[in-house]
Amino acid sequence: MDHFEQELKKSLRRREPSSEFTARLLATLARQTRPEPPSRSPWLSLFGSRGLAAVALIVMILGSALMYRHEEQRTEGEAARQQVMVALQIASAKMRLAQSKVQNLSER
Amino acid sequence: MSLAKIGTITTEASSFSELVCEHQTMVYSLAYHFLRDRTAAEEIAQDVFLELYLHLNELHSPEHAVFWLRRVTANRCIDEGRRRRRHPELQLDETYEIVAPSTATDLMLHQHLRRLVASLPDNARMIVLLRYQEDLDPGDIAELLNVPVNTVKSQLQRALATLREKAGNLDWKE
Repeated sequence: MDHFEQELKKSLRRREPSSEFTARLLATLARQTRPEPPSRSPWLSLFGSRGLAAVALIVMILGSALMYRHEEQRTEGEAARQQVMVALQIASAKMRLAQSKVQNLSER
Repeated sequence: MSLAKIGTITTEASSFSELVCEHQTMVYSLAYHFLRDRTAAEEIAQDVFLELYLHLNELHSPEHAVFWLRRVTANRCIDEGRRRRRHPELQLDETYEIVAPSTATDLMLHQHLRRLVASLPDNARMIVLLRYQEDLDPGDIAELLNVPVNTVKSQLQRALATLREKAGNLDWKE
């Protein structure tokens, strides 16, 4: 190593960082490695707990309305079927009555 | 710090802080001489040690820790050098460091030399720093930077020739 290189070596000697360097580093490390609070579900994050409760309530109301409508349609269907049965029974009775009248006339 | 200690309890903050105290001067100096910016050098040193913390379990020995620190610091510095060329900005240290005249004292000669080193291309500058700050031979530098040893030798020779030429008007006689 010649004189130039020796001077180069001297000029590039190591230097100390600032006195707060270590403390700042350890503080950053402590901040970064602090355990995170338990993560919330994406749905909870999206709506919040009150929002989620409101959505659940809406779903319940809609569900009840649909069930009520379904039950109403079923009842209406049953009533219509009963009406048809009664109509058929009446028609059948009238047919039997007409038939007996025709038989009576033919026997005379 | 013993080898067994670094291998087994490096995840503990106390061991990490020992590593920091032991090697912060090396890491900071590499970054400082490369960038000639104290704030940026400290930021790089902080990042390097934070990354070290995440990789503590991968280090096999104190020598490996030193190798790892030098390699990561060198890569970070070269990346930062590239970033600065893309986004040039005024560097604080440049504002008050004056070019030394040919009749300057040792202190000013060294300051002038550091400015000349700072004017070298990134890779050549890092090679010069590793050679003269860290006292590494070309083989170690080649391994550290992951380049052929002949590349290191040729870049070092070229860098020295450039530095000698630029510093030609200074008195280097003892």
